[in-house]
Amino acid sequence: MQSEYLVELSNISKEFPGVKALDSVSFDLKAGEVHALLGENGAGKSTLMKIMSGVYELDSGDFFVNGDRVTDIDPRKAQELGIAIIHQELNMCAHLTVAENIFLGREKIKGGMLDQKAMNEAADIILKELKLSLSPQTVVGNLPVSSQQMVEIAKALSTDAKVIIMDEPTSALTSKEIDELFRIINDLKKRGHGIVYISHRLEELTHIVDRVTILRDGRYIKTLNFADTNLPEIISMMVGHEINEKFPRVRCERGEKLLEVKHLNAGPLVRDVSFELYKGEIIGFAGLMGAGRTEVVKALFGANRIESGEVTLEGRRLSIRSPINAIVAGIACAPEDRKREGLCVNLHIRENVGLANLDSICGPLGVINGKKERELTARAINELKIKTPSQVQSVKNLSGGNQQKVVVGKWLVRDAKVVIFDEPTRGIDVAAKVEIYNLMNRLKEQGIGVIFVSSEMPEVLGMSDKIIVMCNGRITGTLPVEDATQDKILTLATRYETYSA
Amino acid sequence: MNESAGTLGAIRKFTSIRGMGQVISVTVALIIMVTAFGIINPNFFSSENVMNLLRQISPILIIGIGQSCVLITAGIDLSIGSVAGMSCMLSALLMTTLGRMHPVAAVLLTVLSCVLIGALNGFLVAKTKLPPFIATLGTMIIARGIAQLNGRNTDSILMLDDPNNPTYEAFRQCFYYGKFLGLFAPTWIALILFLIFAFLLSKTRTGRHTYAIGSNYEAAKLSGVRVVLAETKVYVASAFLSSVVGLILMAQSGMGTMDAGNMYELNAVAASVIGGVSTMGGQGLLFGTVIGAAIWGVLNNGLQFAGAPLALRNIVIGVVVIISVLIDRIARGNKIGIGDMIFGTNRKTSKTPPNGNGDGNGVS
Repeated sequence: MQSEYLVELSNISKEFPGVKALDSVSFDLKAGEVHALLGENGAGKSTLMKIMSGVYELDSGDFFVNGDRVTDIDPRKAQELGIAIIHQELNMCAHLTVAENIFLGREKIKGGMLDQKAMNEAADIILKELKLSLSPQTVVGNLPVSSQQMVEIAKALSTDAKVIIMDEPTSALTSKEIDELFRIINDLKKRGHGIVYISHRLEELTHIVDRVTILRDGRYIKTLNFADTNLPEIISMMVGHEINEKFPRVRCERGEKLLEVKHLNAGPLVRDVSFELYKGEIIGFAGLMGAGRTEVVKALFGANRIESGEVTLEGRRLSIRSPINAIVAGIACAPEDRKREGLCVNLHIRENVGLANLDSICGPLGVINGKKERELTARAINELKIKTPSQVQSVKNLSGGNQQKVVVGKWLVRDAKVVIFDEPTRGIDVAAKVEIYNLMNRLKEQGIGVIFVSSEMPEVLGMSDKIIVMCNGRITGTLPVEDATQDKILTLATRYETYSA
Repeated sequence: MNESAGTLGAIRKFTSIRGMGQVISVTVALIIMVTAFGIINPNFFSSENVMNLLRQISPILIIGIGQSCVLITAGIDLSIGSVAGMSCMLSALLMTTLGRMHPVAAVLLTVLSCVLIGALNGFLVAKTKLPPFIATLGTMIIARGIAQLNGRNTDSILMLDDPNNPTYEAFRQCFYYGKFLGLFAPTWIALILFLIFAFLLSKTRTGRHTYAIGSNYEAAKLSGVRVVLAETKVYVASAFLSSVVGLILMAQSGMGTMDAGNMYELNAVAASVIGGVSTMGGQGLLFGTVIGAAIWGVLNNGLQFAGAPLALRNIVIGVVVIISVLIDRIARGNKIGIGDMIFGTNRKTSKTPPNGNGDGNGVS
């Protein structure tokens, strides 16, 4: 019997040593719909999707594809069943070409040899169907993330996948690229594909989603037609309680001038950047991806070389040639990629905090003073409310939000004067986001100047006191938050010609 | 898709092959080096020396092919030098004290035993997920131990004891002294193995999977590549190649030697990286390994010809390894390969900043 559903999962349970990742969870997907799977980090979304795509085996429950029961699934078999997954952290072989990636594991063979021509042609057809201007022979490592993602989608289609799972597909895309992705998703919908959509950016759902299923702590909460619900209701189901205010802005008297940046130049994406930061102020940097926001903060932090310009902190001119100059001066930075640049994930919290403060915790012979290190770590954990069983918890076992707090905490105990957050909420769940916002507010109340780079416009608008918009390495406008709207920011963010504010 | 026609188009296409930049630059370096040695000592170009040089290079090239394959998967095989030593001693043993076998049988049995070591490497690395460095360090010591089991356990060598035995002679001709079309046997063996492995790597599914697991293991796995099998294959191949080298060494000296193939594993890494194979995986061309092995051989031979002591030779080769990789790294830092510098290709992409404005797909 032909089932109405492409995929049906019922009462799925999955246990990992010590954790019940899924407890009797159900999910189904119809042809031609986008079904969003929502929940906080750790709710079990990824586990469920990994079961669907054959990465994990289920402990108990039923799994049907097109009405047929599925047992013993592995990634290869999932592919044969027409289930494809596009992972959040893109899984591409950077050294191989677009076509080679698309056909990886399913190479076309002619006479015992790879049939490059056939693969390039087939890839070209799929790319054209998706209306993408990509050459199949481009090496994937040379493509921007957004294009790599399109290649993943092309790969999924090349397997004749009817079910496409997208895990946080927009987390690294600019709004223009997101529009492109949504065009493709709607296209796929019309062609009868079923799409499972996982995202923390709930605002996006309105554009594409038909149904939503909410998970919490590995348990199934509810499946709803998107038309019958609203975002506040979804959020409250996700967190289990109402979040009254998503952006808990605090009003603060603006203090004296803290940081002044004048005519900063550092590479092609930081051109003549000038701004001022006051005590107790949050500056939000808005702009499209590649606008130069990250480059500005990296230059300020000494991670990118400053070519010219002046940086003054509390009236003292700084010479920032490497991060150590910035750190000593009191500038702290929570970088964009916290796992790669912000933390030693295999070390525990105390080691991470200690690492940033070795100068103050080491005796004259370079021996670490364990007591001082413990005190500093305790301070970081208390001040930032880091949720951890102990100081010696390995950082990789912390949630994204708590990891972010460790990044900030290790600098904060140095009495930083300026704290830079670069995309602090990327890939973390709603509740953790609110904690980060609260953290920024606490810093603000302590009279610290906060620089906040974000690609999510609502949070820039919600949290900043002043918004600086960048485009192509230049500041195209500075808006007090009272005057700022999404439209205004977007206009400034796409103002490519030279413009002096 | 529409490549510009003519020679220029062909050159562009050629230089756009992954890793070709480094191969071109080291080829140029090799030509310069050969010319320099030729000027210093005209005898360097004598046909006798050229034949000898090509023969000298062969073992390091053969073993380098295997090491390159392993490096492309982001692994390393430290055992291959010892496996060559084991092959050298084992073949001598089998032909003499241990069974007096016919060389054909001895060769087959030797190759099989070495391949088993390769399979063990593959199992340890691919299946039990031991770091390749550790797994092959262990088998390196084991294989060296086997190479030391010469029956009497006191001598470091085992002679083929019957100089008049024609099958011994045939074996030695076949693996070392024989000459065909002016080239010695090892050169032919190396050439044939190179062609086979270059074909496997560039034209077959196995080759594609080798690059894929080195480039992104998870991606390959999730794409349905049988990663354990693919990874095991390269270790088996590399052990097979080193067993051939062991046979060449045995044929050369006419005896099993305990320390045959000593340090070959690292010389093979040197040849590979000089030729542009990345130790981080995913990238490398066997042709580069040929050039790398040639540079290694030419430096050794040329400096020897010029009267330089062994110590100086080693110092020079060490410096060359570092410089060749350094140059590649600097070129990459500028986002253009050395091939691009020479041929002026790829300029367009080099001008856009690394984190371009997301419209990188316009450039194609």
